[in-house]
Amino acid sequence: MVKVILDNITKRFDDFAALKGVTLEITDKEFMALLGPSGSGKSTLLYTIAGIYRPTSGRIYFDDRDVTDVPPKDRNVGLVFQNWALYPHMKVFDNIAFPLELRKFPKEEIAKKVKEVAEMLRIETLLNRYPWQLSGGQQQRVAIARALVKEPDVLLLDEPLSNLDALLRLEVRAELKRLQKELGITAVYVTHDQAEALAMADRIAVIKEGEILQVGDPDEVYYKPKYRFVGGFLGSPPMNFLDAEVQDPYLDVYGNRILIPIQYRELVKKLGVRKVILGFRPHDAEVVRGVAEGLVGTVYSFEPLGREQIVTVSVNGASLKVFAPEGEHFTFGEQVTVKLREDRIILFDKKTEKALEFLEE
Amino acid sequence: MKDVETRPKRYERVIILALLLASLPLILGFSLLTISSLSTNMVTNLDPDSFHSTLENWINLFKGKIATTGGIRVNIWRITLNTLVVALGVAGVVTGISALAGYSLSRIDFRGRKILMVLLLILHAFPGVALIVGVYLLYRLTFPQSHDLVGLYSFIYVILARAALEIPMSIWLMKGFFDTIPWEFEWSGIIDGASRITVWRKIMLPLIKPGVLAVALFAFLAGWQDIIYVRTFLIHPTLATFIEANIEAEYSHMPLIAAAGTVYLLPTIIFFITAQQLLLQSYSGGIKG
Ligand SMILES: Nc1ncnc2c1ncn2[C@@H]1O[C@H](COP(=O)(O)OP(=O)(O)OP(=O)(O)O)[C@@H](O)[C@H]1O
Ligand SMILES: [Mg+2]
Repeated sequence: MVKVILDNITKRFDDFAALKGVTLEITDKEFMALLGPSGSGKSTLLYTIAGIYRPTSGRIYFDDRDVTDVPPKDRNVGLVFQNWALYPHMKVFDNIAFPLELRKFPKEEIAKKVKEVAEMLRIETLLNRYPWQLSGGQQQRVAIARALVKEPDVLLLDEPLSNLDALLRLEVRAELKRLQKELGITAVYVTHDQAEALAMADRIAVIKEGEILQVGDPDEVYYKPKYRFVGGFLGSPPMNFLDAEVQDPYLDVYGNRILIPIQYRELVKKLGVRKVILGFRPHDAEVVRGVAEGLVGTVYSFEPLGREQIVTVSVNGASLKVFAPEGEHFTFGEQVTVKLREDRIILFDKKTEKALEFLEE
Repeated sequence: MKDVETRPKRYERVIILALLLASLPLILGFSLLTISSLSTNMVTNLDPDSFHSTLENWINLFKGKIATTGGIRVNIWRITLNTLVVALGVAGVVTGISALAGYSLSRIDFRGRKILMVLLLILHAFPGVALIVGVYLLYRLTFPQSHDLVGLYSFIYVILARAALEIPMSIWLMKGFFDTIPWEFEWSGIIDGASRITVWRKIMLPLIKPGVLAVALFAFLAGWQDIIYVRTFLIHPTLATFIEANIEAEYSHMPLIAAAGTVYLLPTIIFFITAQQLLLQSYSGGIKG
């Protein structure tokens, strides 16, 4: 169980920079999610922590120990690969036992440890099978068992649930979170699924094009996105963004005038920004019929989703999504007004797409 | 493994017929050889009347008589054993070296790797006959003084020399097999604490087992069938050189040589019948679904 410190890590492949100055501290026993779109460098970062890749520059520390040049086997990490990489020619037992055999554990002890970890992951009846005789969910458990059996200091998981179907994914993610807490193991969990990150992690690091945009607990990154990208990546449906122009004390939003939110009034004056992006989440607004104070538009589409329903409203050409309460129905083309919850509005600078409160950082 | 079940059937018969016609000379040749070995006369004139069935040729072959008149005796078992030693030797050397070298070329980033690969290809392009003068020179240079060692020496030499001819292509084949294995298997092994050589032995080799078997079999056949290198370097005869030497000898009884020829061809036949199974046999990957 260790604290992992990444200090200004850069990784280049020839002249392509996959990681650009990543600095991140993962505290002991923490569940850190690394969230980002495909190709953002998540796997690269994970492999760098594991020691498969050596950073082009920057240092990695496990507690106070500089492990930047330490080979993988001396780092005591467990890694679950994106495709699990179970050895197809070995039975489940041998797959799990492999790390222990390499460490020359005595036979009885190997059998005991494999049995323990198999019971923990409820695969003890499958030990005699080959990986290809297992379902996806079972294979995934075997991969986790193999990573856990050597009692690693850090557990690294590379989108381990991405090969599972949606229902199974929900089940396993709750289990995995519980397991991590029970074992008290430092974990880095790579995913491109924002719901997974929000549901499982103690903290989330959002990564884009090799740079970490924001680190924080799930509420922080969800409610206080530092960048437009973060707001747009988290949540389903994601945050709405509308171009707006400052006309003190109002914002002009596609021909609608709304007051600048209280929390931003001083800041807008101080920064003297004119062009901003107004961001709000679909549940931080309500739709009412007819014309009222707010953003006036027409219903473009209406999707009932059981308890919640999504209304897509077109405001002078701009499109936004809002949740409508249960039982309320809207027809296409109907005129509506979207009323925003003022304290939940986030304003981003148009040019840098950074939230105004972080603009001066 | 299953093909697309709705593929067009129109040309299927034509293709099968064409393939049959193309392989007819081979099938015919081998059949005539085998039939002749069971007859008192050769039947290669395609005249059914010349076939008089007998097992005598095979009996004589295993008794080691090379002429029906009985005079000349050779130990056919000994010759078969020689052939087997050469073939297994070549197979062993080729498989061992190419499995290691193929892995290195596929997986290890060292200087001169690209050049080495090109050189291997060039080396493969040289026909064995073109190299034989140089190889013979080396043979004379290292020829042992002591008489007792000559037999052993010639065996080792012919195995190494013949293997050297096969190695460049085999390395390329092996490299190709290793290239198909995802890096994750290897990384997983390394993180689990394995050295590169352990990864090679315990993870990579088992994963390309069908490929290793194929390379080994091709090398085995190369050693089994070789004539030029064996005749130049090996003191003792193998089946190939024995048949070649006797095929025109006055004393030899041709149907008997046909029996020897059948034995000589046996591994090839067995190989090509079983090869399909062997080459297609592979593990169904790590991922399902
Ligand atoms: N060995 C390599 N050589 C060159 N470029 C690479 C290499 N590995 C990764 N890259 C590049 O680095 C970037 C990040 O790759 P990485 O695999 O880390 O993405 P990822 O975030 O894990 O994506 P995904 O969610 O699709 O797995 C990609 O643009 C990729 O093309
Ligand atoms: Mg990845």
